Amino acid sequence: MFGIRRPLRLVAGAVLVAASLALGACAQPPTPSDDPTSNGSQIVIDTTFDIKTADPGREYEPTGQIVVKALYDTLLTFADNDSTKVIPDLATYEASADLTEFTFTLVQGRVFSDGLPVTADDVVFSLQRLQGLKGNPSFLLDGVTVTKVDDQTVKLTTEQPNPALPSILATPSAGILNSTVVKSHGGAIDETDQAEEFLNSTSAGSGPYTLQRLDIASEAVLVKNPQYNGSQRPTYDTVILRNVEPATQKMNVERGESQVALGLSGDQVTSLSSSVKLTSTPSATVVFLLINADPAISTLTSNPQFVQAVKSAIDYAALVDLAGAGAGQATSLIPTQFLGTLPTSQALTFDLEQAKAAATAAGANGQTVTLSFPNDIDPTGLPLVNVAQKIQAQLAAAGITVDLAPAPFATEIDAYRDGKEQIGLWYWNPDYMDPANYLAFGPGQTVGLRSGWKADANPAIADLVTQGYTTGDLAQRKALFEAWGLAMNAESPFVPLLQPASNVVSQPSVTNVYYNPVWIINVAGLGRA
Amino acid sequence: MSEPPSDLTQTPPTPVPAAADRRPTVAPASPASPDPVSLLGRPRRRRLWRAIPKAWRTPLGLVAGVVAVAWLVIAVVGPSIVPHDPLAQDLPRFQPPSSTAWLGTDELGRDVFSRVIAGARVTILLSLLLVCLSMLIGSILGVVAGFFGRWVDEVIMRLTDLVMAFPTVILAMVTAAALGASLLNAVLAALVVSWPSYARVVRSMVLSLRTSEFVASGRLLGFSPVRSMRVDILPNVAGPTLVMASLDIGTAALLLSGLSFLGLGAKPPMPEWGSMVATAVQNFDKWWLGLFPGLAILTVVMAFNFLGDALRDQLDPGATKA
Repeated sequence: MFGIRRPLRLVAGAVLVAASLALGACAQPPTPSDDPTSNGSQIVIDTTFDIKTADPGREYEPTGQIVVKALYDTLLTFADNDSTKVIPDLATYEASADLTEFTFTLVQGRVFSDGLPVTADDVVFSLQRLQGLKGNPSFLLDGVTVTKVDDQTVKLTTEQPNPALPSILATPSAGILNSTVVKSHGGAIDETDQAEEFLNSTSAGSGPYTLQRLDIASEAVLVKNPQYNGSQRPTYDTVILRNVEPATQKMNVERGESQVALGLSGDQVTSLSSSVKLTSTPSATVVFLLINADPAISTLTSNPQFVQAVKSAIDYAALVDLAGAGAGQATSLIPTQFLGTLPTSQALTFDLEQAKAAATAAGANGQTVTLSFPNDIDPTGLPLVNVAQKIQAQLAAAGITVDLAPAPFATEIDAYRDGKEQIGLWYWNPDYMDPANYLAFGPGQTVGLRSGWKADANPAIADLVTQGYTTGDLAQRKALFEAWGLAMNAESPFVPLLQPASNVVSQPSVTNVYYNPVWIINVAGLGRA
Repeated sequence: MSEPPSDLTQTPPTPVPAAADRRPTVAPASPASPDPVSLLGRPRRRRLWRAIPKAWRTPLGLVAGVVAVAWLVIAVVGPSIVPHDPLAQDLPRFQPPSSTAWLGTDELGRDVFSRVIAGARVTILLSLLLVCLSMLIGSILGVVAGFFGRWVDEVIMRLTDLVMAFPTVILAMVTAAALGASLLNAVLAALVVSWPSYARVVRSMVLSLRTSEFVASGRLLGFSPVRSMRVDILPNVAGPTLVMASLDIGTAALLLSGLSFLGLGAKPPMPEWGSMVATAVQNFDKWWLGLFPGLAILTVVMAFNFLGDALRDQLDPGATKA
């Protein structure tokens, strides 16, 4: 026997079915609501929580970014509807011609939530603390030296030319803390820092909101910062972020129990009630295939003709269809929100005949390759197992036999990072809003090496990568990254597949709903009709 | 260990092969007991009815038998009678049940009906395999432990203690995770946790048989331990073990589906009921995705459980009905 006592065996069988019945019954027709906002000055946002802390120097999770973005202003930022160009927030900046020195001049008069002015000391403390904590986001400022010039001026010096630095400073992790308050609660610029607990109970920033309460498992409550004197005009006095399962989020927002739902998948939004508004855009998450270029891993996948076969065997439109409303094909590894992304016309295309010919030429017939992927993770509501099965069927049509090897994320990530996968199905979330982030896919770079792609394998692309890291001019960068994207599409062992949808469902009364690749949503920017 | 008097030790009075005594004769039903369908009255039907062993002539036993046989037939011929290829992704996604796709289509546009039918082979045949293997391994170890006693017994029984001390599903999960996710590994994982109960039961039966006169006289006649086990002991433990095994088929099906549900069994795109229910959980507003594989699991588990009950009533009439 299997350890289940007899009466239980029947019960257990029944429970499986009863559960599926009960779950099915939950899909009742939605109740339309007339008045969405019961309290005019409060907004309830439902999301699936991924937050460990509200300490800017330590947080690096999606929900954490939403919260920290509202609490801490950064030196620079992006407008809600344009994520290609940095704009001033707490400071304006000038970069030296060689892109190694960045001088920031603080905007006059900005204050923290306790009324103290924002000074250069606060900036130096916050950025050095971000580096010194050695937390998840610390890598953002690797190789950067922060020095105070005078009370209003701070200089950042980088070892290498770093055109991405302004974008990096716009990520919520680079938020500026009130150094006086944080130091008095154990704050320090190295690992002896004790301020995390304090920063989880209250906030010490100059952002439009302050933290009233944070429970990382259930709820975050933000209230308007009365001292705030920045450029934004927050509409809602109180912002409540709740941890809610996606299916419940859908019901809540349809019934008016919440005003915004952030976690609905492409399939869930297809059956939305007409009483709510859907803002559906491709997310900045790029789902891609990695085809190992290392002959030691597979002599078949390392054959360039095999890579070509895979690239033309995939029916990209069918994959996008699978991802549901709002998804789009990834035209290159650089998503559509970024500088240097490619137009749709230059994306990879499906050509079955060409794929069959290339597969035969590569000798794929009669061989089986393994497609590995994490099966317990759904980037923005799209289960990778569905994508993998679709790809398996599409490659089979071109004569490529694929064996699926699903594994838990925690075990598969090692095989991926060590470059042990024959074909891998993964996704990339941007760390900051600059295309330089994607140069990691280049030959000899971090992700490139995961597919066994060494620097000398493609000197032309390697050269573009070097230029990408050192070119500062906006127009030149755009052309450069487009060239890089095209070359990567043609010759790299990576196949950009799709950008799953980012669906923000809101009450019609909520305006200015914009998806941001890094901080998901700017709660201070939300308006009311 | 002193044995309490048991009916097993008393049944074989002589060294005559004991199985004959244990095997119940198919007694004709007493005319006094009214059968549910005897009202039909036709002699031919009545003869057919009487051909069914008495223990099976309960509504539950009958229904269970029919359902189980139906599933076995489906498991054997299923793949050749499905209306669609269970792996073909050529239908529209998430179609509710209709005349083209009787039980709807899933997240990749595959026919749910065909997948449920094709899944029968996977689940039922593997459950049977699992139960046979655990019965075989468990019985052999149990007979050895009971027959030889002393340190052999100690070692085997402590091993069963070790395995039984773990929560079943957790141990199966650990095994499946260590070996990698595949159906065969799921069977192996389930095997690891399922043999000890057989070993225990068989050992206790052997312990009581070992001291009985017909076994002792066999040994005195010069039977080798192996021959004694084969001729005198095995036939006497076979019946109860078979009953136990038949009761276990449903549980095995549930455990294997459970492992697949957790992503540790069937690999996609193989049609398997547990993994189909797992997908349904992610799309639970599409009721047809989970209901039908769930019903399949439910009917298989219940049918084999009732079948086991009936078998026990037949092979072991002394036991009280559950």
